[in-house]
Amino acid sequence: MNSFAFDFKRLLWSILIFVIAGIVLFPVFWLLIMAFKPDDVMFARPTVWVFSPTISHIRYVLDNGFISYLGTSIALGLVSTFLVVIIGTPAAYAFARFEIKAKDDLFLFILGTRMAPPICLVIPLYLIFSKIDLLDTFAGLTLAYLTFNLSFFIWVLKSFCRDLPIQLEEAALVEGYSRIDVLLQVVLPLLKSGIVATSMLCFIFAWNEFLFSFMLGGKAIKTLPVAIPLLITSQGVRWGELAFVGIAALVPVMLVVFVLQKQIVRGLTMGAIKG
Amino acid sequence: MVEYGQVGEFTGWSNYVKLIHNDRFWNSLWVSTQFMLTAVPIEFALGLAGALILNQKIWARGLWLPLLFIPSMMAPIVVGLLWKIMLAGSWGLLSYNIIERFHLLTGTSIFASNEYSLLALAIVDVWQWTPFMMLTFFAGRQSLPMGLYKAAEVDGASNMQIFWRLTLPLMTPLMAVIGMLRFIDAFKVFDSIFMLTSGGPGVSTESPSMLAYKMSFEQWRIGESAAMAVVVWFVFFLICNIFYQVGKKRLNAF
Repeated sequence: MNSFAFDFKRLLWSILIFVIAGIVLFPVFWLLIMAFKPDDVMFARPTVWVFSPTISHIRYVLDNGFISYLGTSIALGLVSTFLVVIIGTPAAYAFARFEIKAKDDLFLFILGTRMAPPICLVIPLYLIFSKIDLLDTFAGLTLAYLTFNLSFFIWVLKSFCRDLPIQLEEAALVEGYSRIDVLLQVVLPLLKSGIVATSMLCFIFAWNEFLFSFMLGGKAIKTLPVAIPLLITSQGVRWGELAFVGIAALVPVMLVVFVLQKQIVRGLTMGAIKG
Repeated sequence: MVEYGQVGEFTGWSNYVKLIHNDRFWNSLWVSTQFMLTAVPIEFALGLAGALILNQKIWARGLWLPLLFIPSMMAPIVVGLLWKIMLAGSWGLLSYNIIERFHLLTGTSIFASNEYSLLALAIVDVWQWTPFMMLTFFAGRQSLPMGLYKAAEVDGASNMQIFWRLTLPLMTPLMAVIGMLRFIDAFKVFDSIFMLTSGGPGVSTESPSMLAYKMSFEQWRIGESAAMAVVVWFVFFLICNIFYQVGKKRLNAF
């Protein structure tokens, strides 16, 4: 095979991938366009492609509580992720290293909370929270987010724990380290990248979450995803504003996607593929 | 029936009996079955093809990989929003330029049509999850031992033979696990349905999640919806169990 033919083949495959990525990403690009499209050409038929961009949609969104939604989303994501890391890291380590009675069943049960449809958790949580005054509170919503993120974190981090060489820990135990010291001084430094990657995914899941904050946050605690249906009013749909909120919600997703890359496969397959 | 906030008498199995006699419950299961069986096989086939393309020698692969993750990492509610805009009424980019121009559907938005709204939701799901399938299958393909492929090449196996005799069998456990994961996710889809059709028109796109939501938070039939949540959760638990066993035994994962 001469080098020209080789390059030609590569060119064809590259073009094909370019087309696939174009189809995948075009709607996102269109969302970006819509955020700046003036209302008078938005509904035009045929579709208007060239227009002078407007910032009126952005201004409307900013004037109507966008900053507070954004703040709530960020705070909720950070606090719930922090709790997940604190509780989940020792739990994942224990699952990876200790003999626990009915470990498989327990582990599967944890997966069950993650895999179940959110509505199955929202109905009981709503009833419980209404009895103990946690409805419409930040603390309540943080707790609710633990249901799916903590189980996710334990699952994925356990697969990272399993990859660590057990000999290091055994050596440390022989040296007279306690289990806690082994975890803090031997395991944690090795697990750091796994913890960072998994907790970033947890943040994104919290950031993306809709039904929990819609039902359990009520009028008091509104996150960015909940702001989206609010822009579909009885007076009409605020398309440009919707598009801008959608784009804003995409920013951390874009960042994480570029930072994590391969760990995402591991995360989204619950650790089934090492990536 | 128990009103919200008050504790009623213990009713035994009556909520489950009501559920079994509720046509909408059976309808919702049928809707989800149709949805899964339309979306997931398409995602599977396209994803596998895409993974094999990604596996060729291509330029700037490092750039495409993260970009392809975007749809599956996006908030499902934003995915719904995206397609609401693309397919909106008579002026959306696709509804005007494709559906209307080629007379595929006249008079209504695709999400308001009895026959096609579920198909539209399935297409949205395909858009969102095919890249994910591509990337996971690609990751799986990359982890296969190179030596086997070298040996097959030396033995003069054709590309087709390599695919059917080597790649496919080696990737079967992985594909089983990923397929199951997708079935689970497709069954519980809620946000995009909430955004695009709210289960309508009528009950034609009412998934179990959507029905449970309406029953509990719109009609306040808490008992019945709780019974439904239990039933759905139990089904899920069984599927998860299979997912776990297959992953553990065949993939040596978890």
